[in-house]
Amino acid sequence: MSAKKILIFDDDTTILEIITIIFEENGYQVEISETSHDILEKVSQFQPDVILMDNWIPKIGGVQATQLLKSHEEFRSIPVIYVTANNDIVRLAEEAQADDYVAKPFNLDDLEDKVAKYLEA
Amino acid sequence: MTSASGRRQSICNTLIMETENTKTELVVIGGSAGSLQVILEMLKKLKNGLGIPIVLVLHRKAYSNNILQTLLQQFISIEVVEIDDKTEIQNNKVYVVPADYHLLFENKNMMSLDFSEKMNYSRPSIDVTFKSAAEVYGESLVGVLLSGANADGVEGLGFIKKNKGKVWIQEPETAEVDYMPKHALLEVACDLIITPDNLAGYINQL
Repeated sequence: MSAKKILIFDDDTTILEIITIIFEENGYQVEISETSHDILEKVSQFQPDVILMDNWIPKIGGVQATQLLKSHEEFRSIPVIYVTANNDIVRLAEEAQADDYVAKPFNLDDLEDKVAKYLEA
Repeated sequence: MTSASGRRQSICNTLIMETENTKTELVVIGGSAGSLQVILEMLKKLKNGLGIPIVLVLHRKAYSNNILQTLLQQFISIEVVEIDDKTEIQNNKVYVVPADYHLLFENKNMMSLDFSEKMNYSRPSIDVTFKSAAEVYGESLVGVLLSGANADGVEGLGFIKKNKGKVWIQEPETAEVDYMPKHALLEVACDLIITPDNLAGYINQL
């Protein structure tokens, strides 16, 4: 069975480094991006099973980036988990049309559980 | 034939034996790109009841919040503390320097934060903290330099050495980004070359 693929959009290299280590240790294939530049191309090339999207991702923010993905038929079914420290997380995730959300700072086990939930579906 | 890294290893071990009677009071670990993998591996293996404090000076994005402390705490039962200005130093704690501040040691009981210019394009700068710690702790300090893409920390390691502290450097072949440890090995006489697997073991023995 091939490894499940996660694409992470976050501009905080600390977070990217730790999440990558954790998910790779658990057998996932991880691709990271510090910007939403060329997001459609990145998603098209990597074909992720799930996407983690930070609210403050540079270029276009997380809301617009997620909306852009969801407006394209070929990417619409890829689950997007919205990640932010913003108190308005529920509204932002809804506005973005994300499938779910995780508040920062997150518990790594909770994040893994949430990702796993979408990969099992 | 002995490899270059083998020669370095034997020199380092000899020096460690010569200095092993000095009681270590503080370990300061500096790292940049690729260092978190080593830190996580170390945290998982550190013994509880550590008789010393450990301070982590890691290059981070300027406006990071306390996410590093929160994430690291999930790997270890020892308390991980993000340093505030005038934070008291206590044994058996792991301290993390906050983003966008330099860390200084006022004395062996107190740390302070400083917002002066960046050093080596970095704030926190590993050099700044290594030098400050070396002045306060002298021979009872261990300075560790890990993976990274610039030379921050190398000059500080030299200062630690000059003040009779111990210098540990990550084996460049095990570093995700080897520039920082490679440069350090060229510039500073190290006491020990460490790997991600054995760092915690050496700290546990201090």
